[in-house]
Amino acid sequence: MNTVYVGMSGGVDSSVSALLLKEQGFDVVGIYMKNWSKDLPGMKCPWAEDLADAKRVAVKLGIPFEVWDFEEEYRKKVVDYMLDEFKKGNTPNPDIMCNQEIKFKLFYEKARAAGADFIATGHYARVGRFEHNHSGDGLLAPVVTGLAPSSSVVTSGSPRMVSSQSSSTCLLRAVDENKDQTYFLYRISEEALAHTIFPVGGMMKPEVKKLAEEKGLHNAYKKESMGVCFVGEVGMKDFLKEYIETEPGEIREIETEKVLGYHEGAVFYTIGQRHGLYLNGEKGIVNDGMPYYVVKKDLPHNIVYVSKNLNNENLWVNELKLEKIFFRSGLRPVGPSILVRLRHRAPLIPARFDGKKLIFAEKIKRPASGQSAVIYKDEICLGGGIIA
Amino acid sequence: MIYLDHAAATPVSKKVLEAMEPYFLKDFFNPSAAYLPAKKVAHDYEKAKGVIAHAIGAKASDLIITAGATEANNLAFTVINTREYPSFSERSLAPVVTGLGRSVFSPSENMLLERGYSSRILYLITEHDSVRRVAEQYGGIAIKVLPSGLIDLDDLQNKITDETKLISVSLANNELGTIQPMAEIAGIIKKIKLDRMKRGIKTQLLLHSDASQALNLLDINVARLGVDLLTINAAKIYGPKGVGALYVSHEAKLKPLTLGGGQENGLRSGTENVPGVIGFAKAIELTKEHLNGNRKKYASWRKILLSELTDYELVNKKHILDNFIVLCYNGIDAERLVFLLEEQGVYVATGAACAASKGIKSHVLKAIGLSDEQIAGSLRLTLGETNTEEQIHQVTQIINKIIKNEYSRIKKN
Repeated sequence: MNTVYVGMSGGVDSSVSALLLKEQGFDVVGIYMKNWSKDLPGMKCPWAEDLADAKRVAVKLGIPFEVWDFEEEYRKKVVDYMLDEFKKGNTPNPDIMCNQEIKFKLFYEKARAAGADFIATGHYARVGRFEHNHSGDGLLAPVVTGLAPSSSVVTSGSPRMVSSQSSSTCLLRAVDENKDQTYFLYRISEEALAHTIFPVGGMMKPEVKKLAEEKGLHNAYKKESMGVCFVGEVGMKDFLKEYIETEPGEIREIETEKVLGYHEGAVFYTIGQRHGLYLNGEKGIVNDGMPYYVVKKDLPHNIVYVSKNLNNENLWVNELKLEKIFFRSGLRPVGPSILVRLRHRAPLIPARFDGKKLIFAEKIKRPASGQSAVIYKDEICLGGGIIA
Repeated sequence: MIYLDHAAATPVSKKVLEAMEPYFLKDFFNPSAAYLPAKKVAHDYEKAKGVIAHAIGAKASDLIITAGATEANNLAFTVINTREYPSFSERSLAPVVTGLGRSVFSPSENMLLERGYSSRILYLITEHDSVRRVAEQYGGIAIKVLPSGLIDLDDLQNKITDETKLISVSLANNELGTIQPMAEIAGIIKKIKLDRMKRGIKTQLLLHSDASQALNLLDINVARLGVDLLTINAAKIYGPKGVGALYVSHEAKLKPLTLGGGQENGLRSGTENVPGVIGFAKAIELTKEHLNGNRKKYASWRKILLSELTDYELVNKKHILDNFIVLCYNGIDAERLVFLLEEQGVYVATGAACAASKGIKSHVLKAIGLSDEQIAGSLRLTLGETNTEEQIHQVTQIINKIIKNEYSRIKKN
């Protein structure tokens, strides 16, 4: 029970993860998952440099290192899903899909088959355990069992040391609230989670960087990658332009049906968006200083509707209907005190869940359809769903 | 530190730096300005160009200064009238290999022509990307190499047609150090030119050579090489980076890629890189001075390396630059070796430094018929002025030890 396969991206978080596991005495194997290598116009895909960075760390730590090629599966399960959703008018989150289908499924399964007792990644999240409350609805305080070395975390050894028939694995928010990545992890399988270690989940990001520097890992100086990995700095719009054929169309004011401007393709717009709208309506009517928001997309007619009315039902809402609801095993949101996160790093909002929809005490700005709402009780991630 | 990657970059030598310094601080004037101090700068610039040109047997007026070899190579291809040839964005032909008894996809001439390729441009398959990409863009056709890395002269003769206008063959390859028989190529071209004249065919036939890798290791003379266009570069001869030049014979008519103030005979606009050119001149001067001594030194160190290193296969055996050693460690991942050596303060390159950073297998090593495994295990050592004989002995021990460890690590798995 001592072999850990670490997904190494070449970044500082997964590099430090491998380092920590090695220091804790695990037999560590580094794996670079090759998911995407295609260049985009104006952007060179950095996969080869990332791979070299990961390999250098593996060599430095003296651990075996392999490249696992998931490009075909990634294209099918993540990219195609993403493009399909955009074509339907939704705004999907490919990172959530990537964790669900690639990192915590294909990688997990392949690692286990290769002899791994655990997998590890550089995500900011923790694995804990909780005791079942047999009255059926509540939760007892979780026992946090992350492998974090930080003293700020209550640890009770590694996951393998806890075994209780009435306790289950659970996903816990990271200690560094600013970096918490459970939003991207809420749909990963229970089995994978039970065999996962998040070595940096109990640490603050600056600690991780400092440790990398102290240990001479060059990744400490690497620029952090932002956004969807394969889209990178070019941005989603330019990526979609390469893969989805679009036609220019009208931007209309929803209340009046008046044409205020033109767009490059309705799929590029997200409900709630206020930037990047090029409206050329009559002076004094459009340019009165009040912003227009995208409130509706009519894909069959390729029309984007905008409004200045902040009370528009598509902009500010009390309720959010969820689809493809996924709750982590043994966990159900109960009572009025659940917390919801609507975007990565967005604040946690108190809400109620009635089994189908989230109900908020105060109106919230409506997230785009296709995005996820992730539900927490205290620091436990209960699951979530995709916003309809 | 033991630096064995002089084909990738060389440090600027002290004398070069000293020569450049005044032109950053004191003599900073724009050579095009009217006042006397600027005129003096213009004069020094021209003089420096003369020194560079003289070193390759040419005149200052034959040189176009560029921002390095890549730009010079791009500029050389403007002898082809771009308007006549559409550019091609997608090109993915397998490299063509001869003499291996393996079946490699080799598109027929007709297929090539149908796809818009044309024999107007021929280039050696093992060319650096700054030639290869440009040639592909123009729809050029690749000439094969023999497993030795040398040009397949029969293939060259077969591919030259009455349409052929430009042939590009580097003097020495950047991954292997292979020196191409330019005199023989020039001989073939001369014969074809004569034949064209006899038959009244007016199409020009020009020879371009990228000599940036060979400038400090071979005695280069444009007339002797028989080239019409020659690319040289300061960065590989202990001069500054970002300075190169294209030698242009009177026969070759170029078109500018950069328009503006009309500097460099109108072919490369932009305020002159005065300190860069001064440094280039000094570097080339020093190179000429030490050429024979350095060659002997590198050749003897090369011998030491080849006799003291163990477990390797030598990739390139003959017709190579004296400072090049390409080794192949079967079954070993050369990129790992680079990192392991880095930890010992030894800096080397994998089979092709450029190709490795792009994550693609070297087209050069593929073209000479190495297997994927051999390519992955190829290490390029290039000797230079930062090295000492003591370092050479030291490095063989370091490499041998690492290789031994790697082989035992692999065995265990």
